[in-house]
Amino acid sequence: MRKTILISGASKGIGLATAERFFREDNDVTDYVLLARKSDDFAEAEKELLADNPFGKKVFCYEIDLNDRDAIGQLMPKIIEKHGNIEFLVNNAGYTAPDPIHEIDFGDFERTIGVNLYAPFLIVQHLLHLGNTFEYIVNVASTAGITGRSGWLTYSSSKAALIAMSQVLKEELAIYGTRVITISPGRCATALRRKLAPDEDPTTIMQPEDVADAIRMLTSPVGRYVDSENLVVRL
Amino acid sequence: MYTLALLNGGVGTRVAAGQPKQLIRVNHIPAMIYPLIAVDDIPEIDQIILNFPAGWEDTMRKLVADYAIKTPITYVEGGDTRHASVRSMLEHCDNEHVILHETARPLVTKAEFEALIAADKDNVSFMLEIPFTVAPVDPDTQQVTGSLERARLRNVQLPQKFRKTTLEAGHAYAQKEDVVFTEDATLCAVAGADVYYIPGNDRNFKVTTKTDVRLAGYLLAGDDDDA
Ligand SMILES: NC(=O)c1ccc[n+]([C@@H]2O[C@H](COP(=O)([O-])OP(=O)(O)OC[C@H]3O[C@@H](n4cnc5c(N)ncnc54)[C@H](OP(=O)(O)O)[C@@H]3O)[C@@H](O)[C@H]2O)c1
Repeated sequence: MRKTILISGASKGIGLATAERFFREDNDVTDYVLLARKSDDFAEAEKELLADNPFGKKVFCYEIDLNDRDAIGQLMPKIIEKHGNIEFLVNNAGYTAPDPIHEIDFGDFERTIGVNLYAPFLIVQHLLHLGNTFEYIVNVASTAGITGRSGWLTYSSSKAALIAMSQVLKEELAIYGTRVITISPGRCATALRRKLAPDEDPTTIMQPEDVADAIRMLTSPVGRYVDSENLVVRL
Repeated sequence: MYTLALLNGGVGTRVAAGQPKQLIRVNHIPAMIYPLIAVDDIPEIDQIILNFPAGWEDTMRKLVADYAIKTPITYVEGGDTRHASVRSMLEHCDNEHVILHETARPLVTKAEFEALIAADKDNVSFMLEIPFTVAPVDPDTQQVTGSLERARLRNVQLPQKFRKTTLEAGHAYAQKEDVVFTEDATLCAVAGADVYYIPGNDRNFKVTTKTDVRLAGYLLAGDDDDA
């Protein structure tokens, strides 16, 4: 049977590493619906996946700005029409522009909440309304959602809210047998981390592939015993 | 194929004077949604008849859309009595077999509906052993009039399944004899049909009081797994 995974923010970083991790494994996840904005990275990511495709899987890239609510509302019915049921969802796309409170531009706060909180909410709600039944949903939160640090007000708030939202969804979607998995990575060598800590040597910290491995574990059968809480993965 | 006829008291009493009646919700999800989700993926059930209290049709339709229930639903306004509700639902029933359930039992599981369908008799109810002793009495004189053998009594639950003609005959009998039954398994048995039971689960209790609602919410959240 063909099963479909939808991964948001799959053009690079943890999202792309997660797509690769599932894609190159002999499993029942055959169709990859990937979301990100239009970019060279995204085009490159699609090529890179298809260049090494040992199990003849399929990749479908959709260009979308996840801060655009109407765009999400328009895209979800199209995705369901084309792909049928989405069994697996990884809400991974994330955005931050760290600033202390005195300098925060409200529009940027809205953008952070829009991409990190409203987008996962809207994707799940639209798909539920369309009659989709998920086997699992993975929400990529952050240790920043557990502990706040100077300059991370908008980002930490968005991730704390995402962790809370995941707990609620876990209970509400239990009647459908849907697992809701929350993972909170610590620092990981991606473009987003470079914004949060520009002076850090990325080779010394956790890599996107490590987080992808943790996500794979959480979604596997043994993950059931680990997923009752928001799982922190950090070096 | 089966029709699920879902009786829907559904709407509780006013919380306070002057306030509108409210949907019964367990963990904030309307109680009626739980059985709808439980049956939605059961291929043998291809029609649902949803009973709604007068004035509540739009709310029911919106909820069914919000929760994306896929099985076709026929909406039928509830009657003044349970008998009247069941009778008017039967008129819309397209299948030879009917499953009766009520929204006030949200803890029912998909497996229970499947077990009922799999039971090889036509008219079957879930029933429970009675863990306490009941006595026959005369309420006027408060005199105890004898004893009842617990082993030969059962607590009648829902869901139940019936051949549609059996249920119709049962209700025709009640009308003719001018008798009122509070549920349909004993009605059909008294009317002469062969009705059987299979053992139910005490989790599938009827949610009536505020305490019941909280207990149901607690059980549904499954918070009882710490060692
Ligand atoms: N790196 C870390 O240290 C760390 C730690 C904890 C949690 N996380 C979380 O991990 C997730 C992935 O981040 P990452 O570290 O892999 O960062 P990344 O390399 O910068 O990737 C972020 C992804 O999100 C997408 N995205 C951002 N804004 C978007 C928008 N408006 N519309 C559509 N897609 C958008 C990006 O796509 P485009 O920009 O190409 O559109 C990209 O694919 C995020 O939720 C992040 O908060 C990261």
